[in-house]
Amino acid sequence: MIGLKSTLNVIDNSGALLVECVNILKNKVNNGVGSVGDEIVCVVKRARPISAATQASVNAVKVRKGDVRRAVIVRTRKEVRRPDGTYVRFDDNAAVLLNNKREMLGTRIGGIVNADLRLKGWSKIISLAPRVV
Amino acid sequence: MKLEIDSFSGFRIYPSKGKLFVRGDSKVFRFANSKNASLFLQRKNPRKIAWTQVYRRMHKKGITEEVAKKRSRRTVKHARGIVGADIATITAKRNQTAAVRQQARLAAITKAKTEKKEKESKKAKPAARASAPSGPKVSKQQMKGGKGGR
Repeated sequence: MIGLKSTLNVIDNSGALLVECVNILKNKVNNGVGSVGDEIVCVVKRARPISAATQASVNAVKVRKGDVRRAVIVRTRKEVRRPDGTYVRFDDNAAVLLNNKREMLGTRIGGIVNADLRLKGWSKIISLAPRVV
Repeated sequence: MKLEIDSFSGFRIYPSKGKLFVRGDSKVFRFANSKNASLFLQRKNPRKIAWTQVYRRMHKKGITEEVAKKRSRRTVKHARGIVGADIATITAKRNQTAAVRQQARLAAITKAKTEKKEKESKKAKPAARASAPSGPKVSKQQMKGGKGGR
């Protein structure tokens, strides 16, 4: 249940470490609550320091603190119900940054992700993830 | 349909029951009900909770039927020949009847006795011959006469 002001860990290599949710992009819902597989708009609260050398050369976009980006929620502390009746709960909230076209900003994912992403159409993320539960 | 087992108590988890919890280090825990989940999150040790499978296995409760199946190992003895006596001679010797053995023994004894007798007789003759020349023990000087003595 990610809402306004919820913080999420970023688990890709886009450079951000912590983002804060600003808006949930669900169809025509203003006061939404986000769950696994939902797209959100977020502000980068903490980012990895970028050295000047890597700035120009690297392919993946490195984000800075204060950037407003989009992200998709991949892990929630609130349990999510699966069609077979089991509930899955993680130990933290996590997200993967995206650009406006629903493409990933980073190139690698470091951490476990929820398999419910597949049902919402984020197969690219699942294929990159080292472990899917 | 795969039956999972509870990570805390060892119970079986049927479909649509229970919760799955993924810890920060990506370790997966399954709980059959909220009781097990709550105890796990309270960091209770299942080895100390008497109704869990872990405890029962540790304290060997209710396992007596399974343990009774002990198989004893038996080594099989093989008849083998040694250097100097192949297996045929060994079996022949083993299978000799007592009578045969006694006869062999007697034969050996008589043989030994005769041999001994021969030895003694041989010894007697040369012994007799040897003693003849040395007969009365007189010194040469005495035989030659006692003149040169003075």
